[in-house]
Amino acid sequence: MATVDLTQSSSPSVARRNPLARIGTYAVLAIGLAVTLVPFIWILMTSLKPASEIVRIPPTFFPEQWSLNSYQTIFNDPKVPLARFYLNSTLVSVGRVVITLFTSSLAGYIFAKFVFRGKNLLFGFILIQLMIPFQVVMIPAYLILVQLRLIDSLWGLVIPSMVDAFGIFLMRQFISTFPNDLIDAARIDGASEFGVYWRVVMPNLGAPLATLGIFTFMATWNDYLWPLIVITTHEKRTLPLLLTWYTSQHGQRYDLTMAASILVLLPILVVYIFLQRWIVRGVALTGMK
Amino acid sequence: MTQAAIAGDPGAPRKERAGLRPGQRTFVWGALIPIFLYLGVFALFPMIWVVVLSFFSYSPVRVGDGLLGLGGRNPFIGLENFTSMLADTQTAQLFRTSVKNTLIFAFLVLVVNLAITLPLAVLVESVHNRVKGVVRAIYFMPTISSAVAVAIMWGYVFHPQQGLLNNFIKLIGLTPPKSWLTDPGAAVFGVPLAMVAVIIAYVWQDFGYNLVIFIAALQGIPHDIRDAAQIDGASGWQQFRRITVPLLRPTLLFVCTLTMISSFQVFVIFQVMTGGGPQNQTRSLTMDIYENAFRYQAMGWAAAMSLILFAMVLIVTLVQFRVLRTDWEY
Repeated sequence: MATVDLTQSSSPSVARRNPLARIGTYAVLAIGLAVTLVPFIWILMTSLKPASEIVRIPPTFFPEQWSLNSYQTIFNDPKVPLARFYLNSTLVSVGRVVITLFTSSLAGYIFAKFVFRGKNLLFGFILIQLMIPFQVVMIPAYLILVQLRLIDSLWGLVIPSMVDAFGIFLMRQFISTFPNDLIDAARIDGASEFGVYWRVVMPNLGAPLATLGIFTFMATWNDYLWPLIVITTHEKRTLPLLLTWYTSQHGQRYDLTMAASILVLLPILVVYIFLQRWIVRGVALTGMK
Repeated sequence: MTQAAIAGDPGAPRKERAGLRPGQRTFVWGALIPIFLYLGVFALFPMIWVVVLSFFSYSPVRVGDGLLGLGGRNPFIGLENFTSMLADTQTAQLFRTSVKNTLIFAFLVLVVNLAITLPLAVLVESVHNRVKGVVRAIYFMPTISSAVAVAIMWGYVFHPQQGLLNNFIKLIGLTPPKSWLTDPGAAVFGVPLAMVAVIIAYVWQDFGYNLVIFIAALQGIPHDIRDAAQIDGASGWQQFRRITVPLLRPTLLFVCTLTMISSFQVFVIFQVMTGGGPQNQTRSLTMDIYENAFRYQAMGWAAAMSLILFAMVLIVTLVQFRVLRTDWEY
């Protein structure tokens, strides 16, 4: 199940032979597409209506009068320095991705390719980690940040998650199939042990690193609960925190709150459009969530 | 699972030399010692400390006199946090409500999710490859979207007057509910309407994930089997019921477990869409933990609740292992 090739072609099935079944299949798929896409389109359209059109009952779906007013209001709001919030989210996400990829591949390589005392114990601990939900340990994690004086700091969003048990597990699985001959050849050529990892193993981990990186990025970008606990200063908020704050300020102004939602959704959706092949394949391969 | 250990596999770790050469020792322990020291602080310590805290009446705003703020005005109270879960106090009632809500939510999400994703995966798998890729990519879109934005989006879709859903219901000639998210008296088959709304929004966001896993698993089923059944005259439903579902059992089990476990941990959509209301009908366990720990600073009590959450996750996981041990040969 774990190594299915998603591009493999299927033999013609019933649906393709029986025209009635085929129409039915496409109809159901189309309904599914509509249910998936219409809410996105609906809030996009809402964000493009003038405030007066929003409150009309029954509402319009497409704007009768197109307006960028809501976006202008957000961009010109001195309390919403958008660039600052995008920067916060980007710094935290990129920081976590870079560190996680390094620690996961390094530890994954060691667990895959070396035999040493205590290995099973240490790897067992990694496996146990996989089972612990974040909500179970968030209280002690918070108390540690208090001791380290990292509360209300963007560092507090990166430092507690620099080593990812799932990442180590995933990397170990991939590196297990890496040929030992290449590693030995590099050693004979005089490479240091770190050199073998950095110059021989790492460059061959493109696919799993990309998958893990994308997922870590999205998880951090969309994370809400931990930033909600850690961050208290407005300027240090990440985008999801900004969004709930902004909504609490402008509850009934749906043109504004939907425009703000679009602004938070857009970067990830753009990334997704370019990388969807990797992302969807990554889920199928790893069962990552 | 560890096929790498089979002799002759070019990727297997070298077994003949037990232990490491000096240069390797420096590398291995030079890397692992910092990593595991770090995990000791940020993973092992929290696991132990959440258990320790659950035996104390601990609040970080009070000053204790013992180790790490425990003792003194943060006294050891034994199992009182756990026994008081069954007490007749308002806090305990709220806790029990939140556990009940979380179980209802997780169970219904599982049922609705599987009822949608399994048949849908069969349909997606049956269409032309190019269509399949596009359809799958679009179905997966909500799962990568920010949960906060999704909660705000659906809060507006459920808006009684301006919302998309009620206007659609009116359009097809039915009477929409007066309020989806705030009417404590409204229910569907005994499930509060607000809970139904949260489940709809959550399944909408989450279904693409299981769908992708099912599609991948379906592609792993050899086509000969289905072709043979078809030649024998099996209908589409018979093929689904007698071949597809049994062959998918290991995947089904994996998906059920993961869906259950992640439903136990849902926070954002409850917090942002309903805030736990109306009358705590959608207050989830994670919301209750968050509020007690970080709003009321009752961290000992919240730690005990976290352990209940952990127990729920553990039970589901153990059931999965138990079932997995049965023979899967077909």
